[in-house]
Amino acid sequence: MTVRQDDRLTDGMPMRPVRCRRCDGLVLARKSSWEQTSIQWTEEAMAACPSLADDRHATCPALLSAIREAVLNGELKIVDA
Amino acid sequence: MTAAESDAIRVIEAEAIPARFARGWHCLGPAEKFSDGRPHTVNAFGQKLVVFRGANGNLNVLDAYCRHMGGDLSQGTVKGDEIACPFHDWRWGGDGRCKKIPYSRRVPLRARTAAWPTLLQDELLFVWNDPEGNPPPADVTIPRIEGVTSDEWTDWLWTETVVHTNCREVIDNVVDMAHFFYIHHSFPTYFKNIFEGHTATQIMKGKTRPDIARPDAEGNTMLGNTSVATYHGPAFMVDELTYHYQGFDLESVLINSHYPIDEHSFSLHSGIIVRRSEQLKGPAAEVTARKLSGFIQRGFEQDIAVWRTKTRIDNPLLCEEDGPVYQLRRWYEQFYTDAAEVTPEMTGRFEYEIDTTRPVEAWTRETEENLARRAAEGQPA
Repeated sequence: MTVRQDDRLTDGMPMRPVRCRRCDGLVLARKSSWEQTSIQWTEEAMAACPSLADDRHATCPALLSAIREAVLNGELKIVDA
Repeated sequence: MTAAESDAIRVIEAEAIPARFARGWHCLGPAEKFSDGRPHTVNAFGQKLVVFRGANGNLNVLDAYCRHMGGDLSQGTVKGDEIACPFHDWRWGGDGRCKKIPYSRRVPLRARTAAWPTLLQDELLFVWNDPEGNPPPADVTIPRIEGVTSDEWTDWLWTETVVHTNCREVIDNVVDMAHFFYIHHSFPTYFKNIFEGHTATQIMKGKTRPDIARPDAEGNTMLGNTSVATYHGPAFMVDELTYHYQGFDLESVLINSHYPIDEHSFSLHSGIIVRRSEQLKGPAAEVTARKLSGFIQRGFEQDIAVWRTKTRIDNPLLCEEDGPVYQLRRWYEQFYTDAAEVTPEMTGRFEYEIDTTRPVEAWTRETEENLARRAAEGQPA
C-alpha cells in the first residue's frame, strides 16, 4: 500500500505552519471552516507542549488560540471563506 | 486544479491487497475458550495455527503443521506441556521446539517450528504477529481494562463473526462519521480523531435519533452517548462508551477487535462489560450487557452488508465534512512496514476535528421529515 495524499490538501487549502505563542512549538494547521481544525504535530512541538502531558485526548487550548489568531491575522486562510 | 482536471471522470484506484499481515498484538478472544486442554485450530495471518494450554498452564500458539510430515497439530492431543501430532506423535513445546519423538532415540537438528509470542491479559488471549520475526517491543502494549477484574462490572460478553473482505474496511470506520448516521442510525454531534504512535483515537458524541428512539422496558429514554475509542495497534480497539439517560449514565467498555484470516477475510470480535449501578442492580446489569451486545452485533451486520457489495478504494473522494481517511491509512501503514522503515509521518501526532454544523442541520431535517411522514401515514412516532 502506498501512502497517498489527501486531495483536499491539493485541491483546496494545504496545511500551513503555525507557531504556538505559549511554547513556540511549530505545527502544520488547516481549517476548512471556523469550527474544523486539522493539526499535524512535529516531535519538537510535542516535546514543548505542556498541555499534551496532561491530556492526550484534548487539543492544546494555547495552540488552538494561536491557530485562530493566525486566521484572524490572515496568515491562515479558511477554505470556506 | 485545471478545468480539464475537474471535468475528468474520477477513476477508482485500488492496488493489489498486500499479502503481508500487520505487525502487532491481535486478540484471539477469551482465553477460557482455549484453556480446556485440547488443541484449537485458528486460521490467522494466512496460516493455520494451533492454540493449546499445556499442563503447566501456559497458553501456546504454534504453526499448526508438524515439521515432520506435515500433520495437523490442531487435530492432535495435548500431552503434558506439549502438543502431540496425530500423525506420528511428535511432541512440540510452546517454544516451538520438538521435545520428544517417542519412537526415536533423539530429536533431529532443525526441529523447530514457528511459535507466536502470547499475552494473557484481562481474560483475553493475544498473539503477537511480526512478519520480521521480532519480539514485541516493551512500549507496544495493550492497556489494562480495570472493569474486567472488578465485581462492579459484568463479565465479558464476547461475539465473533467471519467477514469476507480485507480488514482495512473495519479500520476505516475510525474516521467515518457520516456512516454512523446512514448505516448505524446514530446521530453524531461531535467527532474528533487523534493519531499518535501506534494508537488511533476516535472521540464521538451523539444524540438519540427522534425517529429511531424507543423507551426501554423500564421506560428510560436514552438521550445520547459519549464514546472514546482507541485502537492500540492495528487490530484491538477499546471503546469507553457511556450512554446518557435522563438522570443517570450507563458506563460500558466495548472491545472491537479482529485478526486477519487471510488478505480477503478476517475474524471480527466484539466484547462488552457494563458497570453495575443504582439503576443496574443484580441481574439487570447482565440483561443490559446482553442488550448492548445485541446492538453491537446488529451494527456489525449493518457494516458487513455494505462491505459485501462495495469495492476497495485507495483514493476515496472526500468532502470537508468527512474525516481524515488518508491520514488514518498513513497511520495504519506503519503496521505493514518493516519496523526500521516506519517514517515519522506514520506515527506523528495528528488531530482532526470535524465541523458538525452542516451534518447536524441536514440530519435534523431528515429525522424531522421521517417523523412527519410517519405521522401523515398514521403510524406511531
